[in-house]
Amino acid sequence: MTGDHDALDEQADRWLVDKVRGGDMDAYEVLIRRHRDRIYRIALRMLGDSHDAEDIAQDVTIQLWTAVTGFAGSAAFTTWLYRIVVNRCHNHRRGRRRTRPVLDTDPAPTPGADDAAITREQSAATLRSVAALPPPQRAVLVLVQMEGLSYREAAAVTGESEATVRGRLHRARKALITDMRSWS
Amino acid sequence: MTTPDPDRLRCGRTTDDILDQVADGRGDQRDGHQQSCPHCQAVLGEYDRLWAPLRTLAEEQVTAPDGLLDTALARVRGAVAQTDYGIIDGPQGVTRIAARVVVVTARESAQEVSGVRVALSKYLHPTLAARPTHPHGRHTLPDAGPEVTAGVAGRSTAIEITVAADYGHDLLELSERVRAEVTDRVRALTDLEPVQVTVIIDDVLD
Repeated sequence: MTGDHDALDEQADRWLVDKVRGGDMDAYEVLIRRHRDRIYRIALRMLGDSHDAEDIAQDVTIQLWTAVTGFAGSAAFTTWLYRIVVNRCHNHRRGRRRTRPVLDTDPAPTPGADDAAITREQSAATLRSVAALPPPQRAVLVLVQMEGLSYREAAAVTGESEATVRGRLHRARKALITDMRSWS
Repeated sequence: MTTPDPDRLRCGRTTDDILDQVADGRGDQRDGHQQSCPHCQAVLGEYDRLWAPLRTLAEEQVTAPDGLLDTALARVRGAVAQTDYGIIDGPQGVTRIAARVVVVTARESAQEVSGVRVALSKYLHPTLAARPTHPHGRHTLPDAGPEVTAGVAGRSTAIEITVAADYGHDLLELSERVRAEVTDRVRALTDLEPVQVTVIIDDVLD
């Protein structure tokens, strides 16, 4: 059922993309709104910062209008979209290097705080740990571990081999588990 | 004497394999060895606990803030409103050619025709360019001066050129040469098909 739904979504995306390539702005708006949560979510998980993620989402929205003419249609639209957003995140990261350690300004969970607050803080800290990974490892971790892409799909997005994707994912997992252990 | 591998348990299994097992969500799918091995069970339990925040993060429903993309979409809409495009489908994708590119191409090619003193260009918004024209080809816009305008739809383009001619030329023959030159050049350089080329001789200069 999920597969059918995904297939229908892909069909709808392709139909919209064809309209956009013909200059249909309404189709573009629909296409963007269908994927806005995905765009924002990837950026948030790649960068670990909601403001940066918002910047990326807006940049991608503008960039896609012209970039969509280069969408060959040989891959799923979502795969192509992942590539655009991930690459944009890499460039954003390179252009705005942080000058402070990412964990310095954020307090650890405090005793007595309610469960929701702890969960929020834990999520934020986890995001920061992910964001601290080297970009190639981070991209693979976000794509496979969080977005649920297969190794093949992640390889298509990153332009690497499946073996490289597996290796990077494992190194990312080892780095994170080490980081998580330091919280204990 | 060899150094013990820190990633290998005393039972012979590796922590790397167990980490992938847990991270892949297969932590509870324990094989026969793991069901009875205290070393594997200890590491499985530890990794399952440590990996829990990653699982939580992956399961979170993330939604973009309301109105986040409205500004960006408005910017795209604004840019589109100022541009009219010709669309050329190719095997590797689509090429968009802005109407103003056709305008410049038409103006430059008209300018090179012997007998044309000057050909001016000005981009008109498509909604204005599409307005009915005078029976003799002039724009009905009151401020329409010497200019080249172009409207494109799909692969077709319609061009209007207004020129000032040198005195002494056969104006009908001149307009035919301008039309032929512009048609050939636009077709060659942009791959768009000029389906209508209107030439307006606006003035004759000594």
